[in-house]
Amino acid sequence: MPFSRSDYSPISPAKSYLALRPAPIPSSRYPTTAIAMPYFKTSTEWYEQSSLLLKARPTTTRITSKYTVLKPTPSKIKKRQKYLDKQAAKLADPSRTSSPPPSSAQNPEEPTTTFALKTYDPESGTCLQYETTKAAEVGRLIGSLGRLGRHMAALPEVLEDLSAPAEGTGLATPRIEDDIKVGGMGEGKAGGTGGGGGGGKKKKKGKK
Amino acid sequence: MTQEHLSNNEFFTQLANLFEHNRKKGHGSVYLTQKRMAFDTEGYPPSPTKVADDPLWDTHPENPLPIIIRASNNKSDKRPGTDRKDIDKIKLSTIVQPDQLDAFYVRYAEACRAGMSGLKKRDKKKGKKDKKKKKRGTAVETKG
Repeated sequence: MPFSRSDYSPISPAKSYLALRPAPIPSSRYPTTAIAMPYFKTSTEWYEQSSLLLKARPTTTRITSKYTVLKPTPSKIKKRQKYLDKQAAKLADPSRTSSPPPSSAQNPEEPTTTFALKTYDPESGTCLQYETTKAAEVGRLIGSLGRLGRHMAALPEVLEDLSAPAEGTGLATPRIEDDIKVGGMGEGKAGGTGGGGGGGKKKKKGKK
Repeated sequence: MTQEHLSNNEFFTQLANLFEHNRKKGHGSVYLTQKRMAFDTEGYPPSPTKVADDPLWDTHPENPLPIIIRASNNKSDKRPGTDRKDIDKIKLSTIVQPDQLDAFYVRYAEACRAGMSGLKKRDKKKGKKDKKKKKRGTAVETKG
């Protein structure tokens, strides 16, 4: 698939990384434009912007993922306890029976766990971020890391589209088959397209 | 900075240890980084003329390049009054060749999913609240 910038929404903050590149002097040490460091609301948006950035600056851009488990501070524990008490009081109040019961009685001392992704290019100062707390997303995010890794390795993108759905959907059984396919992909394109074509279609449906 | 790069297999064992270490401790972070391996490989660093001729030289290299994956924990120092202990920084790195990239990431995803056990599990109670919504949800799932 050829790289076309028109595919992406014009409001996105980092739509033209190629334009950010200083054309005549390749060794500019300082960012020439305003530094963009947004947190994206969806992982797809993060992925799309990161892949644009990687296309423009494949050598300097790095992706850092951080998995962190934080114990809450004493003040945070107090705050949570207060909130729980409040919720309990609300439930006990007979005039408010219509309100739904609290979905999860959280232990106030439970640690905060997050998984954050950061695409950073030191030359332009661009920093694209995404953060999640859901375990269900990890597989998909690592899948996108793999696809972005292909950009870094300067591997052709066509193959990437084919191998992507199998990793992205997180199905347990076809994974092994795909692994084999992926392994053999270096030699023949034809085998890859035959196996992956259906997968590509599937993913599009799921997205919508 | 003379640390040796691990083989991919060794890296996964060490990464699992790193996550296990994090789990035992109950708090702390695991950092994972990936980047193009542009140096110490054949043909790099590029000749100055190449750079002068084409400022976008690195967007279309002749051959696929390997990428480097790094993993580390957070160093921590002992602090009185808390249960914090002295923990040395553990650093791992491995180089993934372009032809092994996809296979590597399949394993990588599995290792991370297994390791990041502290994240929130899918909330199943939500679907049960509204039966209509649940039905719709399953219908969509089977379609897709």
